[in-house]
Amino acid sequence: MTFTGLIGRICMFPLRAIINACVALRIHPNILTFVGVLINVAAAAELASGHFVVAGIIMVVANIFDFIDGKVAVELSAVSKFGGFWDSVIDRFSDIALFIGLIYLYSHMGRTDYVMVASLAMMFAIMTSYTRARAESLIAKCKVGFMERPERIVLFMIGAFTNRMAGVLWVILVLSIFTVADRVIHTYRELRHDSREALA
Amino acid sequence: MKNPAALPARILWNAFFWTYERASWQYDVMVIAILAFVWLVPPDWLKDPTAHGTGPIGWILERMR
Repeated sequence: MTFTGLIGRICMFPLRAIINACVALRIHPNILTFVGVLINVAAAAELASGHFVVAGIIMVVANIFDFIDGKVAVELSAVSKFGGFWDSVIDRFSDIALFIGLIYLYSHMGRTDYVMVASLAMMFAIMTSYTRARAESLIAKCKVGFMERPERIVLFMIGAFTNRMAGVLWVILVLSIFTVADRVIHTYRELRHDSREALA
Repeated sequence: MKNPAALPARILWNAFFWTYERASWQYDVMVIAILAFVWLVPPDWLKDPTAHGTGPIGWILERMR
């Protein structure tokens, strides 16, 4: 077993209990998704105030909701196309809220350089999701690139708990640029392959 | 004989054009590299607005002087 696989398994124990509780209470997954974004906005407000540890704790809570909504939907047999759409849209709000919290903090500190780093990281984080969504309207699957939402969220938490947000923002920025590039390259290759097959 | 530059180039290309699953050993290596960057690079080098100091690398460099 790999190191990250082991961490995933350990984290599943408490999450399993929370999922079971939500299923027993028959909480609709779309409500869980919405509660998640509200809590993420609170985390963003704490980031904006420079209270990183508090923001980190709130992010953990918010992302439990984010993580379990899909699992609860499956167990309640409440999986729907709208649920998937709602989840994706709300996730973008959560992502953007956290970045805006940091942008506010850095602009308040007069640090234009990090306002730019956080803004660019936000732009490429959004483009990571957009390129995949747009690509998958043209090709079957576009799941390439490292920096997806779970990685971003865990990095945000690490940055908040250990006060290393600058390093985290650089990592998110650089790897998000790579991820967007990967998705463009992958989509180009797949479409070229398809057009060659059509000609043959 | 194979080109000796081919392996490092392939490793770099595979790290850039990422197609590995989560919880694979390649994923572990990437995570360790990211954590090393985040935790070991001195905040002063990055001009971190909220953290200061030279961090573990700075401490080692100081000892080596």
